[in-house]
Amino acid sequence: MGFKSKGCPLRGTGDKMTEIAVLVKRVPDTNAQILVSGDRVDLSAVKWVMSPYDEFALEAAMLHKEAKGGNVTAITLGNADCDKVLKDAKAVGVDRIIRIWDDSWSDLDSNQAQTALANVIRDLGINIVYCGKSAADTGAGSTGPGVAERLGWASASNIIGLEFEDTGVEAMVPAATGNARTGVSLPAVISCDKGFCKPRKPNVKGIMMAKRTQVEVMSSDIPSSSVSIISHSPPPKKAPGQTFEGASEVPSVVAALRNDANVI
Amino acid sequence: MAYEGLDFYDIESQLSEEEVMVRDMVRDWVDEEVIPNIEEACRDGRFPEEWGKALGEMGVLGMTIDEKYGCAGMSYVAYGLVCQELERGDSGLRSFASVQGSLAMFPISAFGSEEQKMHYLPRMASGEWIGCFGLTEPDYGSNPGDMITRAVEDGEEYVLNGAKMWITNGTVADVAIVWAKLDGVIRGFIVERDDVGFSAPEMTGKHSLKASVTSELVFQDCRIPKDRILPDVKGLKGPFSCLNNARYGISWGAIGSAQACFHSAKEYALSRIQFEHPIASYQLVQNKLAWMLREITKGQLLALHLGRKKDDGSWFPEQISLAKMNNVDMALEIARMARDIHGANGILDEYPIMRHMANLESVKTYEGTHDIHNLIIGRWITGIQAFTRSV
Repeated sequence: MGFKSKGCPLRGTGDKMTEIAVLVKRVPDTNAQILVSGDRVDLSAVKWVMSPYDEFALEAAMLHKEAKGGNVTAITLGNADCDKVLKDAKAVGVDRIIRIWDDSWSDLDSNQAQTALANVIRDLGINIVYCGKSAADTGAGSTGPGVAERLGWASASNIIGLEFEDTGVEAMVPAATGNARTGVSLPAVISCDKGFCKPRKPNVKGIMMAKRTQVEVMSSDIPSSSVSIISHSPPPKKAPGQTFEGASEVPSVVAALRNDANVI
Repeated sequence: MAYEGLDFYDIESQLSEEEVMVRDMVRDWVDEEVIPNIEEACRDGRFPEEWGKALGEMGVLGMTIDEKYGCAGMSYVAYGLVCQELERGDSGLRSFASVQGSLAMFPISAFGSEEQKMHYLPRMASGEWIGCFGLTEPDYGSNPGDMITRAVEDGEEYVLNGAKMWITNGTVADVAIVWAKLDGVIRGFIVERDDVGFSAPEMTGKHSLKASVTSELVFQDCRIPKDRILPDVKGLKGPFSCLNNARYGISWGAIGSAQACFHSAKEYALSRIQFEHPIASYQLVQNKLAWMLREITKGQLLALHLGRKKDDGSWFPEQISLAKMNNVDMALEIARMARDIHGANGILDEYPIMRHMANLESVKTYEGTHDIHNLIIGRWITGIQAFTRSV
């Protein structure tokens, strides 16, 4: 379960309690075959998982707690089908699991979702929020900075290394000419790339703890939506590959690679 | 592409959320840590020590035993699912977990004193201490009731003499549950690695379960303190209670082996081109794949129903015999059929087929042979036992 730091070794002193939140999202398994039926994505048969970048955010939150103390609250937004990702988070040791939802809601747009998240995070007295850099389904990458914006908090995005300090964190973030070691004061929202830590696995005791833990459901005031999805469409199919056989075809292959594919 | 188990009858819908979580936890670990390394472990003829520790960290050792002893108190269905996933990796790995949980920890939890439970079980649940189970002897396999190993009282000690054979984990064990006759009655004793007069040489030269340690246990005036006897059981009921639990786990484990072979055969048949078409497009191959699916699905339903009966206490031992016998039998046939579908490639360690097949030959025989389970069921049908007779 070690912290595989790349350039940002874990360090930290002090024991000031910190309220840590991690945002986790339920998404279709990244191996799932996504079908469009009519003009809508048909997700009825897919397997659901925690969005992969959120697993790194969860690990960062747990490491933060281990380094500095405090409590970790896992938060998701969605209907009761989303409880499983919270149970998965509980199974690796978070203290509290909260689902934000209201039965009058249906699909929320980014503005609505980020407002709901920000409201609950503010009400909970959270000091630092970790989330994945983007969700595996939409890939928008707007949640972390969007929540920070609504809270008026500092924000570091796509981080690839992390150190925990008494008053904040030092995050390694990609920069134009390399990586930037960035000091971030609390309160803050940190969105995580993969690779800087190894997400811990659950164990049977954690799973039993998750079984016994109730998901707390909270709601929030949200603005009305100003966008709507008109239809979904599958990505265009790839053109079929070309087959070349025999040495006599080599000039054609070279020409195709040079002129058509522009790779040589 | 992540592994997806064959689930033709939507068995998953019958599982609780935590049972699925435990299965997926072990499934992921097997995919990441076991399958990439199992062939090397087999070639080297060793059980990787770190796998035992990982099983302890995951909390699957003795996972049905009460939480107050450092275990998880989970359902027998969850335990079965763990066995299934471990044996999808390798029967030797599942054997390690079966022996630790069902054969070494279970008798302490069921028949041990409170002091014994508190002393041994937490350390065994964490994987710190490895256990083994000594019942079979060189001349007494299916007929353990005639065992030769003896214990005699001598002051504040018992003195054990005799030998056990085919003992999984024996050489690496810290704790051995040994069944021996005391005044003509079979009793369970806890022998520790460093006890005077105890040795556990490894048996070598196996063509099966190569990634599992198999040993002899030798007791030569082996002296143990008197508080190491299991106080609450006498007779064959003791070892047979343990075997029932292990056999139950095997009935699930065999599904894992069968799934691994089916998965490989399906993938191979879809990609192997002969006569310009994938061999999966030919009726003879489809017939084989359909037979595999049929048998795996039946085996899953058998194991799940038996698991629910284990959990509500309504089971009887002959039901376990049927499940162990049937599921190992079908898994072995599926391994052979999968080898056939793989053609010559099926004998290479690039594919898991021959390893599973060779392993399953052992699994068919240990924990009650296929034939003995038939006799157990025959006795249940007719009321006539066929094990012994006057000649």
